Parts: sequence; structure tokens; C-alpha cells
Amino acid sequence: MFAALSNPRQSLTQVLNFALVLSTAFMLWKGLSVATDSPSPIVVVLSGSMEPAFQRGDLLFLWNRGQNTQIGEIVVYNVKGKDIPIVHRVVRKYGGGDKPLKLLTKGDNNMADDTELYAKGQDYLNRSEDIIGSVVGYIPFVGYVTILLSEHPWMKTVLLGLMGIMVVLQRE
Amino acid sequence: MHSSLVRVQNVFGYFTTVAFCTAIFVALSVLVTPQHPSASIQLRNVQVVKGRPHYYSPKKEEYAHIKFDLDADLSSLFNWNTKQVFVWITATYPSSSPTAPPSQAIIWDSIINSYSQLHPYTPFDAWKDLPIVGTNKVPAKKSKSASKKKVAEAEAEPTPGLVRLKNSKPKYQITDVTGKLASQANVTLELGWNVQPWVGALTWTAKEGQDFGRWKGIRGGKSEAFDLPALKGKSATQETVIQKGTPKPAEAKPVVP
Repeated sequence: MFAALSNPRQSLTQVLNFALVLSTAFMLWKGLSVATDSPSPIVVVLSGSMEPAFQRGDLLFLWNRGQNTQIGEIVVYNVKGKDIPIVHRVVRKYGGGDKPLKLLTKGDNNMADDTELYAKGQDYLNRSEDIIGSVVGYIPFVGYVTILLSEHPWMKTVLLGLMGIMVVLQRE
Repeated sequence: MHSSLVRVQNVFGYFTTVAFCTAIFVALSVLVTPQHPSASIQLRNVQVVKGRPHYYSPKKEEYAHIKFDLDADLSSLFNWNTKQVFVWITATYPSSSPTAPPSQAIIWDSIINSYSQLHPYTPFDAWKDLPIVGTNKVPAKKSKSASKKKVAEAEAEPTPGLVRLKNSKPKYQITDVTGKLASQANVTLELGWNVQPWVGALTWTAKEGQDFGRWKGIRGGKSEAFDLPALKGKSATQETVIQKGTPKPAEAKPVVP
């Protein structure tokens, strides 16, 4: 099993391979970010106010090109002073043209619109400042992996370690 | 390398490949189902009243209260990959700035669940009907009636996507960003929808003439243009408070922090 370590050239190649895998993943993520014009083109749903459309653990693909958001689109937005983005549906839109659109959002599973969730004194979302993308694609459940990883940070270390050991120890 | 670790890896890899291929196939296969939605919307009654967004708000705004008739057939939007359809009616009116596109606000919406959403398939349902080994219990008779019951249930269920509303109240009383909405001219009501799939791409309203392969755009689905009335009489002095609950956020985290 530790035969690989006796051959430094081979083990170095394997370390290099591992680095290649990591950098490829990173490049894909950043490439997707550039293509969609969104800082995080794939998000995981954490809570249920868009149920039954989106449940906890669902993976959403975002698209952020074009500022002309339509009514009924589901957008992911940041609120100033909060770190976790929110995914809700656009129920009102005002203005546009030369100025950015003003949008009001609401969760399908909520009675009330989101005015109370916005920053203090803010009544509407600004399309160009607050919104990081509009949902275009959907895969259920798959995001649970990330939820597990982020809620139990030690799993991240263990997983990364296991991956590293596996790549290094595996022989062609 | 035939260690059990490698085998587990292979099985898992094969499983994910098959799962993703199936998902892609299902997501793309819906393109072969024909879609031909149609709808008609009529204005019934419209009022403009003064009010406040909530009890403690000092802000005074004008709210439009629009009653309508809706007769929609969206049943063709439901196929094997449809989880739910979110339908809504927007009021569209010219913005106060002449360069800006029209403003829009939803006055009514609804979630229409698909049959598969209401009656999710669970493999355990099938197990219940199996005879239990080692006992004399044979639930065959029961299973027959149970499956019959299921069929009857399915038949009794109205086709999802047929929406008929007569003189319906709006779900939301709308206001403009300026707070003024009385005497607004050239307002139209329009039907819109969003199909939420089990897996794959979300799709939105196809306007009249926006055909895409076998998917036809909506026929009708738009009301005649009308004007909002002025504030007058009782409505000018009375005040409504738009009561709302507290919204909960649906948080979504980037997959790569």
C-alpha cells in the first residue's frame, strides 16, 4: 500500500494530480461565475419559505445576465447587514429603463411580502445592487452534501484528507 | 486493484452517472409534450382606497382593490416532470417616468400542485400489499380494493390546471412605488405562470405567439385596458390597514463558501 512512497517521482506525480483536480474544480466554479455574471451561480436552499417549490437541500442554478427581471421570476438577493442570501419570488416591479428596477419579493409559503426582511428603511430591492441571480435550473436533494459539510465543519477536513490520501495512494 | 474500497467507489460512481443521465433525460424529455394553455380574464370591479401598509406605519398610500373573473386551462402544462405550477395575475400600468417600462404588480396568485406532488410515490406502498411470509395473512383482497380506491381517487381528482374564478377578490391590494394609484389610466390584467419541474429548467409564461417547438404560447390571458377610479366619497376619508404577517426568509447559501 505504501509502495508509492518508495518511488518519489510517482508520488510527486500523484500530488500534482490531486492539485490538478482541485484547481480544475476551482476554475470550473469561477468560469461558471463569469458566464452567469453571478458571484455564486449555484446555491443550496436552507429553509422552507418557498415550499413546496424549493425544499431544504435543493440545488438552484442562477443566471444574472440582463437587468430586466420579470414578475414571477425567483431571485436570490442579499440584504445589507445579513450574510445569508434569500431566495424569493418577484411580485412587483417598478421603473426600469435608465434606472435599475425596483422589485418587491415574497416567499410562496409566506402570507406577507418581504418588506420586513429588507434592511431598515428599505422598501424595495434594487435590481443592480441587491440581486445576485435569478433561478433557472433545479436539482433536488443534492445540496444536502454541502449542508452537512457546512454544519459539521470537521467533515470538510475529513473529506478533503480522505480525498488527498486516496489520490496519493492510488496507483495507476 | 480489486480492493473493496475500489468496488465501493465504482458502484457509487456508476450510481451517480446513471442518476445524472436519467435526470438529464427526464429534464429534456418534456419538450415532446405539447402545451397549449389558454385563458380569459375579465375585470369585475375596481376600487381605490387610502391606507397604510401596517398599523404603526405613518405612510399613507393608495391601494387598488381589483375584482376579476378568470377562466384558465393550464392543464397541458402538467407533464411527468411537473412538480407544481405557480399562476398569478398581474396588473400592468404605465410608469410615472415616460422612459421607464410599465410597472407590474401581482394581485392574485396560487400554487397548483401536480398529481405526483399530492400523491408522492413511495416504494413502501407496494410492500404493504405483499403477503407476509411465515403467516397466513394474505392481504390480497385488501390490496385489490386499495388499488381500486386509488384509481377512483385519481379519477375523482379534478384535472390540475383548470382554474375558474367568478368575481374573485384580489389576494393582494396593490400600490405604486409613489404611493399614488388613483385615476391611473390604461391598466391591464394579465395571466402568468411558472412551471416548477422535479428536475431541470424552470419555465415561465409563454406569451401569445411565443411558440417553442410543441409548446404553444397562451391564447388570450389578457383583459381589456381599464382606468382606475379616483378616490371619492367614503373611500377618500376611510382608511384601510393592509394587515400582513411576518415573512420568513428562504435562505440560500452558495455551494462554495
